[in-house]
Amino acid sequence: MKKPGEELVIALAGQPNCGKSTIFNAVAGFKVNTGNFSGTTVSFTETKVLLEGRTIRLIDLPGTYSISTHDIAEKVARDYLLSGTVDVIINVLDSSILARSLELTLQLIEMDVPMVIALNMHDEAVKKGVEIDVDKLVSLTGVEAYPIVAVQGSGVQELFEAALRVAKGNVRHIKPVYDKDVEECIERIAKRYPDALRQTWKIDERFVILRLLEMDEEFEKMAGEADRAFLEYVAENRRFLAEMHGWPEAGVFASHRHAIVLDLFERVAVVRSRSKPSLGERIDRFIINPVGGLATITGLIFAMFYASFSIGDFISGLLEKPLEALGSKVLGLAGGTAGMLLAGFYDGFTAGVGIVLPYLVPLLILLSLLEDTGLLPRIAFMVDGLLHRFGLHGKSVVPIILGYGCNVPAIMAARNLEYERDRMITMLIVPFISCSARTVVIFALAGKYLGAGYTTLIYLGNIAVALAVSFVLSRFHVDVSPGIIMDVPPLRRPYLHIIFKKVWARMLEFLMFAWPVIALSSIVLAVLSQVGIDGIINWVLAPVTSGILDLPKELGITLFFGIFRKELTLIMLNSALNTLDVASVLSPEQILVLVVFTVLYIPCIATVSTLWKEGGWKVALYSMALNTTVAIAVSGVIAYLL
Amino acid sequence: MKLLHLKEGTIAVISKITGGNGMAARMAGLGLYEGKKVRIIQAAPFRGPLLVEDILTGTRTMIGRGIASHVEIRDEEAR
Repeated sequence: MKKPGEELVIALAGQPNCGKSTIFNAVAGFKVNTGNFSGTTVSFTETKVLLEGRTIRLIDLPGTYSISTHDIAEKVARDYLLSGTVDVIINVLDSSILARSLELTLQLIEMDVPMVIALNMHDEAVKKGVEIDVDKLVSLTGVEAYPIVAVQGSGVQELFEAALRVAKGNVRHIKPVYDKDVEECIERIAKRYPDALRQTWKIDERFVILRLLEMDEEFEKMAGEADRAFLEYVAENRRFLAEMHGWPEAGVFASHRHAIVLDLFERVAVVRSRSKPSLGERIDRFIINPVGGLATITGLIFAMFYASFSIGDFISGLLEKPLEALGSKVLGLAGGTAGMLLAGFYDGFTAGVGIVLPYLVPLLILLSLLEDTGLLPRIAFMVDGLLHRFGLHGKSVVPIILGYGCNVPAIMAARNLEYERDRMITMLIVPFISCSARTVVIFALAGKYLGAGYTTLIYLGNIAVALAVSFVLSRFHVDVSPGIIMDVPPLRRPYLHIIFKKVWARMLEFLMFAWPVIALSSIVLAVLSQVGIDGIINWVLAPVTSGILDLPKELGITLFFGIFRKELTLIMLNSALNTLDVASVLSPEQILVLVVFTVLYIPCIATVSTLWKEGGWKVALYSMALNTTVAIAVSGVIAYLL
Repeated sequence: MKLLHLKEGTIAVISKITGGNGMAARMAGLGLYEGKKVRIIQAAPFRGPLLVEDILTGTRTMIGRGIASHVEIRDEEAR
């Protein structure tokens, strides 16, 4: 028990896609990403909030279906919960699928940590005909429960007040009681519970025994290290139970818990089926159908890119004149070295507002819609079969589509893949996906100078290259992955205020982080070209730029800077080529080669460092080499052919 | 019979999940375990996964065909 002055740690725990991050954001402001698919959150985020005069550390954890984990994201959640630092757990449940959500609740109750239940998406449950007797749930579990609707923020205040209250009191959870022979078995094992384990592991003993009976590998490892004989004794007892019930040894315990959960569910909830399917369901029937689904999804994706291109092009065009007018005024202010620095800054600064933002914002809005409606898992469903032929997996679709926004979270999202092989291939494929920065390059160069046909071709070609690389990689990782198991949540209507906050947060990221880098790099480029260092970089890269790609060697420096931020390649183009009209210096063929190369080679430093963190330095280096090789090969072939 | 061979729209009860503890545990997490009534809603194109509905909760899960071939079912009833 903590003293009044100490920080209280409250953790949000629950199954994937139950709304933990939405609750977190309701309290903390928009700090973590949300979406209508399992595995939006893959690492834990913490924030400090002031509640009733106390500082609380609130933790948002990745979702986990049960305490036994199968992927890295789930393991993050479980390790945090078992670390002993959590004072109160807020167990978030999707009320509309109460029977499944309660599985984890029961396991959390067994952990014996102070807890409150958040019955989230209560509105959806009511619509679906699921009536929950909250008082009965409280009396049967001994855990306070609150119906809430996190997207609207309703009930959240009461929930946190309850969490604070619970932190002060004693835990009075009503733990599930198993059959007599199981209970006797637990009692026998408890008598032999080793002191070594008791000292190293401050976790409820009964909970540990239950996990061991369920053959939880991590617990078996820990217990085995502490006391080999004890683990043997547990196994002996488990075999005895399995034999007595005629069940398979591994499932003996889980089956027991399922039965208890179903019984609890039947006692606290009534489901009245509705006669008419909802609008969402009717749309879903169309999307899930192969013909309707493939047509909808390809249509949507094309419409999405077309819309963000045309909106971006329109806004960018509107801004062109005023920015030019501003430029002539600003650039006249100073001459000499100061003028040169000013010109560099001006280039980077205006490119941020005039070129990047107009294309970026519509793309971000559309990607957010894709995340929030629940289309991502449906796309995974449609293309899983196809992707298998290329050694990928339907689950890889989520990271890949997120990659169109930014490769960094996309690589992190690969944590949701259960098998190392699938995760590895996905992490290596994501850097080939044209993120929003590269999309800006495509739109501003290919879109402007080559037209919509070539732009589409570049996109399709990009996907083809990614699939081809995956096909080749999968030949090196021959072990077969067992296949996809993935939750398909109902389609949900996007909330405007959430879309707005999401886009705003990502825009802010660009404005606060990327934009200064772009402006600063522009100044650096101006300085470099003043001292003549750009010539050295251009000379070093010349064998590739002018040798293989048949581009002016002056582009070497812009491609080099592209590694910091992909937009830089575009922004520096004008000053490197010393022109305002790229088409007057580069032929259409050269523009195509430049765009293809920019899209395919090393994405950016942030992506590489994420790869390093998620897969180790070997993966990061491997990925850089792979991207560079493929980029040179593909754009080299195009340059040779044209 | 295997879940893999269940016709779209037909309801059946899961009787056994073979193919290792890990797979059974993963499916159990999503609410699919022995005794559960399920229905195939749709099979994905290109020999892709099956969309399986848990009749009790209405939750839907996609399951690859390889995995569906490890799920035995009984008591099929057309609906």
